Amino acid sequence: MSEQVEKLIRKEYSAGFHTDIESETLPPGLNEEVIRFISAKKGEPEWLLEWRLKAFKVWQSMQEPDWAHVTYPKIDFQAISYYSAPKSLADRPKSLDEVDPDLIETYNKLGIPLHEQEMLAGVAVDAVFDSVSVVTTFREKLEEAGVIFCPISEAVHKYPDLVKKYLGSVVPQRDNYYAALNSAVFSDGSFVYIPKGVRSPMELSTYFRINEMNTGQFERTLIIADEGAYVSYLEGCTAPQRDENQLHAAVVELVALDNAEIKYSTVQNWYPGNEEGKGGIYNFVTKRGICHTRAKISWTQVETGSAVTWKYPSCILKGDYSIGEFYSVALTNNFQQADTGTKMIHLGKHTKSTIISKGISAGQSQNAYRGLVRMGPTAEGARNYTQCDSLLIGDRCGAHTFPYIESAHPTAVVEHEATTSKVSDDQMFLCQQRGLDAEKAVSMIVNGFCREVFKQLPMEFAVEAGKLLEVSLEGSVG
Amino acid sequence: MLKIKDLCASVEEKAILRSLNLEIKPGEIHAIMGPNGAGKSTLGNVLAGRPGYEVTSGSVELKGQDLLEMDPEVRAREGLFLAFQYPVEIPGVSNMELLKAAVDAKRQHEGKSELSAIEFMKMAREACKAVSLDQSFLKRGVNEGFSGGEKKRNEIMQMMLLEPSLCILDETDSGLDIDALQVVANGVNAMRSEERSFIVVTHYQRLLDYIVPDFVHVLAHGRIVKSGDKSLALELEAKGYSWLEQEVL
Amino acid sequence: MSEFQIQSVALASQQTAPAWLSHLRQQQTETWQAAAWPGRKTEAWRYTSLAPLENQTWQLAQACSAELPDDLVLSDALRVVFVNGHFSAQLSDPLPQGVTPFSRAQPEEQVLILAGLNQTLVADKHLFASLNGALLNDGLWLHLEPGQRLAQPIYLLHLQTAQQEGELAPVRILVQLGQSAEATLLEDYRVQAPGISAVSAVTELQLGANASLQHYRLNLEEENHLHLGSVHATLAADARLQGFTLASGSRLKRLDYHLRHLGQGADLKLQGIYLPRGNQRIDYHTEVEHVVPHCTTDEVFRGVIADTAKACFNGRIHIHPQAQKTLAEMSNRNLLTSPRAEINTKPELEIYADDVKCAHGATVSQLNDEALFYMTSRGISAAEARVMLSFGFVNELVEGLALEELRVWLRPKIAAIFAQTSSLTRHLIHD
Repeated sequence: MSEQVEKLIRKEYSAGFHTDIESETLPPGLNEEVIRFISAKKGEPEWLLEWRLKAFKVWQSMQEPDWAHVTYPKIDFQAISYYSAPKSLADRPKSLDEVDPDLIETYNKLGIPLHEQEMLAGVAVDAVFDSVSVVTTFREKLEEAGVIFCPISEAVHKYPDLVKKYLGSVVPQRDNYYAALNSAVFSDGSFVYIPKGVRSPMELSTYFRINEMNTGQFERTLIIADEGAYVSYLEGCTAPQRDENQLHAAVVELVALDNAEIKYSTVQNWYPGNEEGKGGIYNFVTKRGICHTRAKISWTQVETGSAVTWKYPSCILKGDYSIGEFYSVALTNNFQQADTGTKMIHLGKHTKSTIISKGISAGQSQNAYRGLVRMGPTAEGARNYTQCDSLLIGDRCGAHTFPYIESAHPTAVVEHEATTSKVSDDQMFLCQQRGLDAEKAVSMIVNGFCREVFKQLPMEFAVEAGKLLEVSLEGSVG
Repeated sequence: MLKIKDLCASVEEKAILRSLNLEIKPGEIHAIMGPNGAGKSTLGNVLAGRPGYEVTSGSVELKGQDLLEMDPEVRAREGLFLAFQYPVEIPGVSNMELLKAAVDAKRQHEGKSELSAIEFMKMAREACKAVSLDQSFLKRGVNEGFSGGEKKRNEIMQMMLLEPSLCILDETDSGLDIDALQVVANGVNAMRSEERSFIVVTHYQRLLDYIVPDFVHVLAHGRIVKSGDKSLALELEAKGYSWLEQEVL
Repeated sequence: MSEFQIQSVALASQQTAPAWLSHLRQQQTETWQAAAWPGRKTEAWRYTSLAPLENQTWQLAQACSAELPDDLVLSDALRVVFVNGHFSAQLSDPLPQGVTPFSRAQPEEQVLILAGLNQTLVADKHLFASLNGALLNDGLWLHLEPGQRLAQPIYLLHLQTAQQEGELAPVRILVQLGQSAEATLLEDYRVQAPGISAVSAVTELQLGANASLQHYRLNLEEENHLHLGSVHATLAADARLQGFTLASGSRLKRLDYHLRHLGQGADLKLQGIYLPRGNQRIDYHTEVEHVVPHCTTDEVFRGVIADTAKACFNGRIHIHPQAQKTLAEMSNRNLLTSPRAEINTKPELEIYADDVKCAHGATVSQLNDEALFYMTSRGISAAEARVMLSFGFVNELVEGLALEELRVWLRPKIAAIFAQTSSLTRHLIHD
């Protein structure tokens, strides 16, 4: 069976093209001057420059973490360029017509049409190309509802109070090595504010694209749902196919005030490297949300890309009766390595969290779930349910589970279950006996394995995720 | 034996019993019937003192004493027994340990001396026989791995050992085949006496063919909406509950 | 080097007998000296502080006479007694062939013991194993020839007299079972005085093909005693190991189990119970490695944590790439019975082979409300019901023990841990 699977897994990375766009790219290297340059380039206020410089100082004093179940050559942070922007955007385009046609073409190739008329109804898109937000669609319609959705570089100027209040409030500068780096050099990202009691009239979406060589992408996303507000936010990522590894160290902060709800979905398809494990993105991301009273944050992620993934979208359940959810599918193939999971920090009373994690390992990849459920001494009546399932395809890959459970309250209840199995010969045979070929059979079984997570995704994302899985699995059957 | 006056009770702040009245004299069997969701099981749970079932007003007297003031274990020692609809499994604690502890607690409460292990075993074996349970069930964890029928027979076995004065059977017939139903009914009938009263909560008339009630009450929307003798049960069997709801509301 | 390392290296230099172990002691002292002392970020010591070791002046426990405790676990057994780490012929039964204290080993046996020691150990995984080697002066060698079966269980009783403050004793056990040999071993650790004391214990179990071992370990020492113990086992083809470990409290108890399937068809069953209360600390780290195909592991640990006690369970199952057709299950369930009790559990799977069935589960909760109500509705007081339920939670494991005398002995001991007053435990203790 293994040979068939193997054949199936081999398909080209379809987002692997490079766009020839004239860019303004800073030479590689990182020092205070670079940070001053980035800040000046964006015309940032003094407080933000100070904030960045402070983060840089902290970063210099920190060690790169080595506890994750991943191995990669040491990153030379001086060999990376920390700023790259399409030149034609030097003066930000006022409308879509002013955007470089090559750039629009890039997004079209990725299946992310930026022309509003072509857009799927009800999704507003913020496109981030290398380090810069190139266009945000549907802004007027959102503004009518009072929803702010714009590049964070713009928000710094237009909504300084909000940015100042919440930036770094969930992920502080010194939180971890990559978060500190991001705080020092972040170039752009999305900013969302949903006012009190408002349901965002449409899904908000950001597409991230790394284009330039030797460029790191350090976007920063900040989403604030004020009391009783609701927003569903989608994030997609791709990068060109390159032999060198590229660094992506983003920070996402979510703030759900009383009774607010944020649903954050990611389909991550960064270039995973080739069959021999050459190239690919290092995806070292810090995502965290804080829930106030009766608020809810739901993370859903489908991770198929990146050479190395280090990512733990987390919830701090500070308010009583708040809810955290984490639904994840992580698929690794070839030489990919993923160490991903979540942290649910229960502080408030009667807080509830659910973790559903599905790991699929194929080829010679390593796929680890790492999670923390902490019931603090104040977490009266808190509940957690965790289920981690791993599926192995082929006998050269690895599937690992590292769940940390810490409970300091007797009325808190934690339940954790994990299983590991393979696509069984019986399942394969049944599908084949019913006329499906091996590839279809595996993809069906894998899709079934992931169903609980996919059903959390908005419709068009779920379809995309299913397809992505199929593509990523190609060649894994044998 | 039991006087329930204007009893109102709620679960998770939702009112389930709304001014329920019922009086039971020694030796009587009262059947409580009613549609699903009427509050039948709530009544048994409130009387037994299950946490989470909050009495908002009204009073209940058991043999002249204020029942609602008592902790669940004191109610049991005073002679109230609830045969559960869904008896919980307690692995690691044997049936025998549970029963000996329960019988000892009751005897102590009554100022009697404890039974010796041998006396107790003799009683327990007889009770097992009476409900056709193998003695090996005494050594197994409480209800652990028992079939539905075995769990119900185990409840009746416990009832026999504890010799309560007021027995509440909460849908004891649910999930039982006809043989098991007869075993349960025989156990109950064997315990009928002038001093002992029964509340038989059931959705179906079937059980009442075997345990013949003195009174039948229909519980709907948290109150007793109609009372009668056993013929009322037959009428309900034939016509269902909906006519009653229309009549009453 | 930490303060404790400096102290214990000095103690190791005082340990001069027997001469035939001095080379090993020297070697192990070097390893111990070089070992990195854990800090707050050391993963294997994340939840357990070694402060009780560091804030104390230690001395070697000396050979002396002692009295047997009244409550021996086994009567129908071959009793082997060590006092303060030294074999006591006076308190032990006459020993048959194959049961040899290191201190009684003949020169040709010494060679075999030296060849066997440390063969099952992966030193850098177990910080305190080299401490044990550095202090080594006596121990028990259980060596069964192929096909040999011991008629009686071996009852290894370690008595620490703890006459003086800060006595530290090393205990070492080496079990080698030849092909198809069978044995039962119970390790029972006792402390006879309340002063501060410590034991460093290392047990190595080497099971030959088709050999079978029941291994029980009791750590019920009290408050001021510290225990640093580890059990290391290797299983050859078709070998069967049934392990059981029970720990109740002290200021620091760290128990490592490292078990490796090295031959196809090996079968491991490991059960553990931890019952810390007061301000006690218990830390279990287990690792089961499947190195070859077709082996099975069934691991169950349960804990009831009371008062301000803390427990840690870190269980790892590691399936190597060749270990196809592995069946491995691990379950860890915990009850917290007080608002200030704490549990940290981490059931890990590390899997590099695809055709395996592995599962783990972990739960943390309090006593089941349903069950509590059921029992009180039968007239049992809430206090007694709580004791009975806590007891039942771990009794599920005790009931399954093959060694009946142990089962009978454990019931009242465990019941007494949940309640001091007999009115709350009397229905759990019956003959």
